[in-house]
Amino acid sequence: MSQENDRLLGHADEADGIDEYDNPLPDWWVGLFWLTIVWAIGYSLHYHVIANRSQERALANEMAAAEARWPAEEAATRMSAAELDVTDDAISRGRTLYGQYCVACHGVDQEGGIGPSFLDTEWIHGGQADDILRTIVEGVPAKGMVPWEGVLSPTQINDVAAFVISRHSEATGRPIADIVGEGADPPP
Amino acid sequence: MERVATGTGAGVSETTVYDDQIVKMFFTATTVWALVGMLVGVIIALQLAWWPANLGLPWTTFGRLRPLHTNAVIFAFAGNVCFTGIYHSTQRLLKTRMYSDRLSRVHFWGWQSIIVAAAITLPLGMTQSKEYAELIWPIDVAITLVWVAFGVNFFGTLARRKVKHLYVAIWFYMSFVITIAVLHIVNSLVIPATLFRSYPIYAGLTDALVQWWYGHNAVGFFLTTPFLGLMYYYLPRAAQRPVYSYRLSIVHFWGLVFLYIWAGPHHLLYSALPDWAQTVGMVFSIMLLAPSWGGMLNGLLTLRGAWDRVRTDPILKFMVVAVSFYGMSTFEGPMMSIRAVNSLAHYTNWVIGHVHSGALGWVGMISFGMMYWMIQDIWKRKLAHPSWATHHFWLATIGIVLYTVAMWAAGLMEGLQWRALNDAGRLAHPIFLDITTRLEPFLWLRLLGGTLYLIGAIMMAVNFWQTIRGPERPADAAAVPAAA
Repeated sequence: MSQENDRLLGHADEADGIDEYDNPLPDWWVGLFWLTIVWAIGYSLHYHVIANRSQERALANEMAAAEARWPAEEAATRMSAAELDVTDDAISRGRTLYGQYCVACHGVDQEGGIGPSFLDTEWIHGGQADDILRTIVEGVPAKGMVPWEGVLSPTQINDVAAFVISRHSEATGRPIADIVGEGADPPP
Repeated sequence: MERVATGTGAGVSETTVYDDQIVKMFFTATTVWALVGMLVGVIIALQLAWWPANLGLPWTTFGRLRPLHTNAVIFAFAGNVCFTGIYHSTQRLLKTRMYSDRLSRVHFWGWQSIIVAAAITLPLGMTQSKEYAELIWPIDVAITLVWVAFGVNFFGTLARRKVKHLYVAIWFYMSFVITIAVLHIVNSLVIPATLFRSYPIYAGLTDALVQWWYGHNAVGFFLTTPFLGLMYYYLPRAAQRPVYSYRLSIVHFWGLVFLYIWAGPHHLLYSALPDWAQTVGMVFSIMLLAPSWGGMLNGLLTLRGAWDRVRTDPILKFMVVAVSFYGMSTFEGPMMSIRAVNSLAHYTNWVIGHVHSGALGWVGMISFGMMYWMIQDIWKRKLAHPSWATHHFWLATIGIVLYTVAMWAAGLMEGLQWRALNDAGRLAHPIFLDITTRLEPFLWLRLLGGTLYLIGAIMMAVNFWQTIRGPERPADAAAVPAAA
């Protein structure tokens, strides 16, 4: 058990008047030092030998766990217009998503702002459901619209498209069936 | 102006005249560069909170001013602090004048020229793109030459010393002189292409590893060991108490210098660095905890019997808070180097908070304490405004607390939001910019903390100016610590 003795070493005249006590190392400090050394050895052995970990395996485990919890949705972010779900439920979910992700550029009522309006008959990148889906999925990076694939799930992309299409239809009177179907270009 | 002492080593009795002129030169440079470095820090803090402060000019954008700030506070302010204290205390501890007055001047003017060169080239965008080693190769060559001049001068003084016992501060200074030379030269090896451009001799991952071996040990051997040396001289002098434990000083010194040099890879956790090398960086960082705390313990326990004076003496206040922040940030550092913690903290403002609790708290505060003590010793004057030193102390302390708390909160928030997933397994905050804009209140709070710290430093500079212009103290009066 170490005890402070406060015995002076008598070096003061060799250190510009600063003397030093001959006190022992504090026990808890020595204990802490040993603890970190033992832990360092134990951790290294455990990580590399016993548990045989690596950052690649850690990533693989995390991805497998994510895969199990959230199975990959069936293929298609490239869903075709034929599969588009424009039910009231989808439109309602799309309204919420629009408020989170789209409103900043396309305006509260889709009237446009930084990005174009959806309430007129003008479609810069095509006005059929296929075109609208593609624009959401791929974005228009050259003009500052990010690709939403990967950020939004395929279902979410469907819902946003459904909301945009229904509001567009409401504002312009163009029937939804005309947008979703293989019909002709919208009337001028 | 110069102090006279009587040498007693080896039975020789002779009179030694210390070179205090060089100490005054470094002291003055320190004060000037402190203001410059901290002012640039406040400017870039404003730029982060309010982008128009970038002024839309390439020379004043954050990307160019940030390295100017780090170089100014590390190499100009902290570097000159070390040189001030080393030139002052080494002569007294070894009872001899510096080996060569000429080399002292080469060191002083060389170092200041390098700082000016840095202040010109960095805003012009000339950089090697290595953090804390941005300066282009001609300046790197100049640093090497000036450092060699310093090294020859320092070890020449050691060779001519008139004492047998080497006080602990001198060991810390030696580790500073030797290790910084090795780090700087190895990390700066490049093949020059033009006068302003060069290519590193290391490729890819090796370059990154050498860079962070350098970068981490710049913290260890530029901002830690020389300042521990300063603490070991100025804290017992100011407190007029013996050092708590000689044995602890030896054990923690060797523990620190041996373990520090391996810890650099903790800057590259979860990178292309092999797993075993990441583990080395992490476990050596953990083992650094006790040796670092050894310095804190020896500092705080030296104050036994002097704690009543901490209440009234601003110099001791600065030193106590400095040593406490040293203990705090050397606990935080090892924690942040643990893989799991690092995966949250890395790339966030938490890292900025950590480095500033060390820089503002430890390096800054121990420097201020040393300077308030030293100015009264070498200029033989009483402090013009003792109460200002206490005001400076409180401004700085409150500033650091605001700064670190703001950065902890900001870092935790962005770290957690970057990784958060929603119920569908997708990013809960997919738009990076949203997280960035949420940082704004914390960035303003950090600016406030930094501004308080700068105001304190300005008060210190004015105080020094008026002290030096004031009347000299009568020769027989002892150095009196500033009383608030």
